[in-house]
Amino acid sequence: MVNVTKGILVECDAAMKQLLLHLDETHALGNKFIVQDLDETHLFIAPEYLEVLQTRIDDLMDRISFPLAERETD
Amino acid sequence: MKPTGKICRLYHPQTNRKFAGKKRKEFEDESNYDEGIPDGTEAEGVPEAAKHNIEVEGERQGEDEYGAKDYRDLQLKPDHMSRPLWVAPNGHIFLESFSPVYKHAHDFLIAISEPVCRPEHIHEYKLTSYSLYAAVSVGLQTHDIIEYLKRLSKTAVPDGIVDFIKISTLSYGKVKLVLKHNRYFVESQYPDVIQKLLKDPVIQECRLRHSTSGEDAAEDAQASSKPVPDDITNFYDKMDKDEDDDDDGSLQTVAFEVNQEKIETIQKRCIQLEFPLLAEYDFRNDTHNQDINIDLKPAAVLRPYQEKSLRKMFGNGRARSGLIVLPCGAGKSLVGVTACCTVRKRALVLCNSGVSVEQWKAQFKMWSTADDSMICRFTSDAKDKPHGCSILITTFNMITHQQKRSYEADQTMKWLQEQEWGIMVLDEVHTIPARMFRRVLTIVQAHCKLGLTATLVREDDKIADLNFLIGPKLYEANWLELQKRGFIARVQCAEVWCPMSPEFYREYLACKSAKKMLLFVMNPNKFRACQFLIRYHERRNDKIIVFSDNVYALKHYALTMNKPFIYGPTSQNERLQILQNFKLNPKVNTIFVSKVADTSFDLPDANVLIQISSHGGSRRQEAQRLGRILRAKKGAIAEEYNAFFYTLVSQDTMEMSFSRKRQRFLVNQGYSYKVITRMAGMDQDQELHYKNKEEQTNLLQLVLTASDMDADEERVPGEIGGRPGPFGRRVGTMASMSGADDAVYMEYKRPSASSNLSKHPLFKKYRMK
Repeated sequence: MVNVTKGILVECDAAMKQLLLHLDETHALGNKFIVQDLDETHLFIAPEYLEVLQTRIDDLMDRISFPLAERETD
Repeated sequence: MKPTGKICRLYHPQTNRKFAGKKRKEFEDESNYDEGIPDGTEAEGVPEAAKHNIEVEGERQGEDEYGAKDYRDLQLKPDHMSRPLWVAPNGHIFLESFSPVYKHAHDFLIAISEPVCRPEHIHEYKLTSYSLYAAVSVGLQTHDIIEYLKRLSKTAVPDGIVDFIKISTLSYGKVKLVLKHNRYFVESQYPDVIQKLLKDPVIQECRLRHSTSGEDAAEDAQASSKPVPDDITNFYDKMDKDEDDDDDGSLQTVAFEVNQEKIETIQKRCIQLEFPLLAEYDFRNDTHNQDINIDLKPAAVLRPYQEKSLRKMFGNGRARSGLIVLPCGAGKSLVGVTACCTVRKRALVLCNSGVSVEQWKAQFKMWSTADDSMICRFTSDAKDKPHGCSILITTFNMITHQQKRSYEADQTMKWLQEQEWGIMVLDEVHTIPARMFRRVLTIVQAHCKLGLTATLVREDDKIADLNFLIGPKLYEANWLELQKRGFIARVQCAEVWCPMSPEFYREYLACKSAKKMLLFVMNPNKFRACQFLIRYHERRNDKIIVFSDNVYALKHYALTMNKPFIYGPTSQNERLQILQNFKLNPKVNTIFVSKVADTSFDLPDANVLIQISSHGGSRRQEAQRLGRILRAKKGAIAEEYNAFFYTLVSQDTMEMSFSRKRQRFLVNQGYSYKVITRMAGMDQDQELHYKNKEEQTNLLQLVLTASDMDADEERVPGEIGGRPGPFGRRVGTMASMSGADDAVYMEYKRPSASSNLSKHPLFKKYRMK
């Protein structure tokens, strides 16, 4: 029998892939979304999660960056 | 305007009731502190004018979404091309460093304002009431400041700024308290001010009437009106000259003598009258305290900036108390030694570790004629006989130690308390908390205080306290300028991004915060990058220091690479031995150190610094560490960089944000960081550790079995305050908790939501900003 699943191929670096796996395992987005773990840098994911994932990663990047120009108002 | 003294008094009883036990002690400390310090700048009396904050007042201008301000309504002068400054209504001043009159403007701005950011072309300064206070205390006068600022500015100086300068300076620095021939005089160049003071009943009581000379002088003297010179250079020359010979005929001073017992009363009263007394020490006329026989050696040559900073201190033949800010490695100790040699009275040097006590002693012997018999060290390891010596070098911990001491130490302390010290030099003054410092002041009687530091920043905003505890900032050097002229090394700063290995990142995501830190420090890619850099620089015959705040990582890195390391529990002997080897032994080119080496470890030969873990986002630590390699290297005028400062950062982790935060200070000093994302040749290097998955997995196992305690940063005494990192509670290692460190004093205070109560009420306003 042939199963056809629509999905998106994600290419990322090895560490980022771990983040995605982590989100997947902990059901952080409500459900599992990885369809297939392909190799070190590639994943096949369910398409409806793409947007959420993008904002999640943007959040992370915001958290670990720090604006140099910020005035010290504290 | 209401005097602030009243507010404090209202505040005290209330707080005392609330925190009956512990807090009362704190306040008692304060009242003790008031005694015996002839200093108009004590914390109790912050004059009303100092509370103005021009930044808030001037913040009316529209801002666009990027924070840029619209200053189009400021009118440019027709000849603005030849003037170097922009003065914004919020007290910020922008200076073009390429302007032909840069030198003049720069010296002037250093005197009246705080540097905010000094990159290559445009420097930003900020007017604050503290900085203006400092300006007045080094001899500038209100109308000079305003006049000169108007001259330098490209635009008309906003009225708000003029008013602000007037408010902040008019009443400051008009009256001085001078100790001459062991008699205290209140002195002023303004007869009307003296008259006003003399009419006050409280002050009349304090006055010592046995001669009428004071009053006679008061009638004779006329405030000399000075002609306004035409052009900037003229004015500058005059300003400079004012500094050197204040005592020439043009400015007459009037004075009256005060009763020594009433000094404190008169100080308080003067603050209430809005004329804070500036303390000066007329050491040349002090016959009460014996001169010590110490001079600079002829070989000791002061660099121009060192001379300038000392000129600010000894401007009119007397010694002022204050802070001198010079980058690490720019010769702070020589400034200290020279100050002692100038005063030529008994000198007390306070520093923050046993090693730096030794280094200060060596500095004294190198630059001055002092020999072993004159210098007394007072530390837990070395207790020289104090009697008959004239320079005492000790640590803050030794002085403020409160538990029982050995008999020997007790005797020394007694002796120390009985002495009247001519000068007190405080090394790395930014590290001491205000409370500890007050305690020092209750113990030691010193006529003038000189604070030395490289970084006048603290994450806990306590810097303002120093201004009123020690004195105003007398001088601050520009790092980039010293670098250009070869006085300090040219440093290439680099941030090396090391990708997290997938396995480590997986665990990083899953585990809780304390372990997280260990994981990103132990990242095998970071280890490889570190080893690669060490091997690269060892081939170039460089001397390398590797810093790690995390002891577990420190040990692991050092043992795996087979290099010597120093951390808290390392004994003094072993430390000195390792440092000696590092200096002289060509086989020892790399050492690993924990944060014990942040300050005052003099490692003149090191020129490469690799940082593998750090104390959160502390700007000061970053600057202090950079300071370890700043000492000028041979052939320092060369075009190329001659020192390297690498920070290894694990990508995609919290470390990225810390690293950015830490860089702020140095970026403001004009340094730029280069980001290195991959290093050529690292993958080919077969000698590096952890090249295959198997080794990396073993390392991961090792890290995961490490206890939470291992994940903590090392605690170093004296490292107090600091912004609480995201790691929750930090506890010391077993060794340091059981006293294996040479720690005698520890105080860890964490600012909490209600912490404003526990701080000195007078500074509350500044903290709440």
